[in-house]
Amino acid sequence: MTAVLEIQGLRKTYRARGGPRRALDGFEMYVEAGQVHGFLGPNGSGKTTTLRTLLGLIKPDSGEMRILGHELPRHLPSVVGQVGAIVESPQFFAHFTARDTLSLLADAGGLPKERVDWALELVGLRERAKERVKTYSLGMKQRLAVASALLKQPKLLILDEPANGLDPGGIREMRDMMATLSAGGMTVVLSSHILGEIQLICDSVTIISLGRRVAAGPVAEVLQAHSSGQVKVALETPADLSAAAQVLIAAGFQLQANADHLTLSGVDKPALIARLLAERQLYVSELTPVTADLESVFLELTGTAPVPGQVRSVDQSVRPELTPQNGVGA
Amino acid sequence: MSLVRAERRRFFKRRLTRWVFPIGLLLLVTIASILFAFHSKPTAEARAKGEAAAEAMYQEQVGHYEQYKSQCGEKCPDDGWAGPQRSDFRAEDFMPPSFDFKAMYGELFLVWAAIMAMIAFLLGASFVGAEWASGSMMNLLTWQPKRMKVLGTKLGVMLLSVTALSILALGVWTGILWAAGELRGTTEGLTPGVWQSFGLTALRGMGMILAFAALGFGLASIGRHTGLALGAALAVVIVGQVGLSILFQMVRVPFWEQYLVPVHIFAWMSKEVKLTDFSSPETVCDNAGNCNPPELLITWQDSGSIALGLVVVVLLLAFWQMRRRDIS
Repeated sequence: MTAVLEIQGLRKTYRARGGPRRALDGFEMYVEAGQVHGFLGPNGSGKTTTLRTLLGLIKPDSGEMRILGHELPRHLPSVVGQVGAIVESPQFFAHFTARDTLSLLADAGGLPKERVDWALELVGLRERAKERVKTYSLGMKQRLAVASALLKQPKLLILDEPANGLDPGGIREMRDMMATLSAGGMTVVLSSHILGEIQLICDSVTIISLGRRVAAGPVAEVLQAHSSGQVKVALETPADLSAAAQVLIAAGFQLQANADHLTLSGVDKPALIARLLAERQLYVSELTPVTADLESVFLELTGTAPVPGQVRSVDQSVRPELTPQNGVGA
Repeated sequence: MSLVRAERRRFFKRRLTRWVFPIGLLLLVTIASILFAFHSKPTAEARAKGEAAAEAMYQEQVGHYEQYKSQCGEKCPDDGWAGPQRSDFRAEDFMPPSFDFKAMYGELFLVWAAIMAMIAFLLGASFVGAEWASGSMMNLLTWQPKRMKVLGTKLGVMLLSVTALSILALGVWTGILWAAGELRGTTEGLTPGVWQSFGLTALRGMGMILAFAALGFGLASIGRHTGLALGAALAVVIVGQVGLSILFQMVRVPFWEQYLVPVHIFAWMSKEVKLTDFSSPETVCDNAGNCNPPELLITWQDSGSIALGLVVVVLLLAFWQMRRRDIS
């Protein structure tokens, strides 16, 4: 498939009071045509910097970027008409109506006026289009932002936290809209912290931590690759759990004891567990693999899982070593 | 052209434009209406009353003078004054004022230019400052990534729009003053030369308005917020004008008024301003032996050059940083 978006070795360092801060450190990303691609990372990991750099708002220190085969930022003016984007939560003039807001953007982009109604209809704002933006809820403003990105009928749609402020119905509508747009051939890059949504919507993901890529690929492959081989073990007699735990620890398993079951990690052969316990007259009632979800993979890869009693700093996440798999060598 | 159309629409849709310009226009109409109301056409009856009042005043002053002469007699100093002259007591001085369009219109350009310059500064600053502060500029740049083109178009559209508003305000202002001349005074003596002089003054006024607009735009663009331009303006007024004038007077800086903005505005609009340094111990004497304190002449070219330099520097900085700085 053709790559709609390619980033290689992207670096950006901000000058800050406490010394230079590397926001992007050899970051890589590939998005293929027609996909809905999730772009994930903890706060301060470099997601927004990446998106802003792509859109020409931030100048990178080095690296290569291409959108639809055009080299950026040099050829951005010629390709920008095919890229719709919202970066973070865009603010609009509170006293303009939604129609005015979109109409001004359509004018700036030399687009026909009919597009305004089309975009408003698509995000469900047509009935409220004549109201001032200041009367809108956060979710409605977010819909307006998405409408502004869709106005160009772009080939590549970049959405930074589009579900921010949406109600559950709105989130589902947004999900359906992504699917429809993708089915129509549009490529969507979606940055979000609602990982359940990403897992449902996206074909592929890129996970970034401290400016470096920590994982990338189809969602199923990323989940599979980072599945830790965990299994859940329950016994017919819950009172035997501690005895079973001792047997399994003695056999070299790593486990976590829960109230009514044990969770074992790094298990290659689940049948071995049943056999070991049966030899001690401890009978298994449940032996099921624990499927990793995107949230747990994300927390594991970025090292941002909360630890009881500890407060994690915003910048406290995993910086992976640069390898051919996640970026170019330094 | 599409960006120009969008920016023009944005300028006139803005709440500030829709509020501030009408307020400024209302202010001009109010001032012009007061001028209209406080002048009246000289009637034969008013002239007769004025003549009578002038004669009465002349006679009263002659009486005072003769009384004074009789009291001092030969001791009166020979100051060369022959007493009150009838020609010094004009009927016009004792009549309700009438509006002489030719004499007053030229001087009143300053009122129009000053009010519109304030409005232009505010509109210029807010036009770009609000865009930065609201994030709309970032949004716009995802549509038009050529930053120089975006900022240049905004500046150009803002200046053209301010020009249009200023011409409209000048039209209203002139209309009311013309009516005052026709109905409450005179519009006589308006030769082509006088109109040419009015035209040149109006052009200088327009130049001043646009300079203020560009300064507001440039400062707000550098600070990426309207507040920076307004803060700079406030600092110039309070620190740069009030503070400096007090300081310079205390340390007796010669011709300290030359550092004040209003002096340059006046020089620009009136073609020149002559400053006199009364605090100087030195005097300057001419060939006839007349000695006076030193004087400094500030012409409209002097003031114009300073203003142009300032505007160019501020705009260059604004464009330079638009090109260089990240947008976050």
